[in-house]
Amino acid sequence: MLVIRRRAGEVVLIGDGVEVTVIEVAGSRVKLGIQAPADVPILRKEIQLAAQQNMAAAEGVTVASVGRLLAALGGHTQASKDTRSGARAPHQ
Amino acid sequence: MARCDSARFGTIDYEEAAVVHFPDGLPAFEKEKRFLLIEQAETSPIVFLQSLATPGLAFIALPARLVDPGYRLELTREERETLEIGNSQELVEGEDHMSLAILTVREGQAITANLLAPVVIGARSRRALQAIQADLGYRVDHPLGADAAAGGGRTCL
Repeated sequence: MLVIRRRAGEVVLIGDGVEVTVIEVAGSRVKLGIQAPADVPILRKEIQLAAQQNMAAAEGVTVASVGRLLAALGGHTQASKDTRSGARAPHQ
Repeated sequence: MARCDSARFGTIDYEEAAVVHFPDGLPAFEKEKRFLLIEQAETSPIVFLQSLATPGLAFIALPARLVDPGYRLELTREERETLEIGNSQELVEGEDHMSLAILTVREGQAITANLLAPVVIGARSRRALQAIQADLGYRVDHPLGADAAAGGGRTCL
């Protein structure tokens, strides 16, 4: 990994079209300004992590996995009443 | 009363009040804007989020506080605006909003809960989003029951 020290107001260029400006450094936070061509996606890493996790989570919704989860929860299941939401689904 | 199809629940009759709106969808599912929040007595405390547009798409979730009793949530001004929660208002779980951790249940692997990106639902607005908690050290794959397993010898989690 390339490591560069920069101060507020200084800029890093990446490739042809990407410019990263350090706008402000305050405590543990850095405010960055990024200029890039429209076809270059810019994403906070956490969003990408969430996206990958969402895809994995969506795959696992089966009757078996619900059963496994309920068994795992056995210890701290709370007797909460039905449907705050008003939605009711037929039980499988 | 409206009706939708789902892979997990078959045909569901629901009331509009049970619909949760994600104005921006969810990461990786940006086009999915409407989900049904389903809580059943026989699967409590699990909460299901069933897509109204895609019968095959559903998520399993638990209240974040059930996964981690000390769970802390921070919302940005924009997120509060989306959820229609006042900016100065102190967040009260279960009162002005609800935080759900989406679970990942994969065969042969530990069940994990996404505490980094909880689904937060505005109680009044019924609008929702996944609010990234970047500053608090939470993980997308927090092992469910890790504490219980360490302390109480429960291994099935």
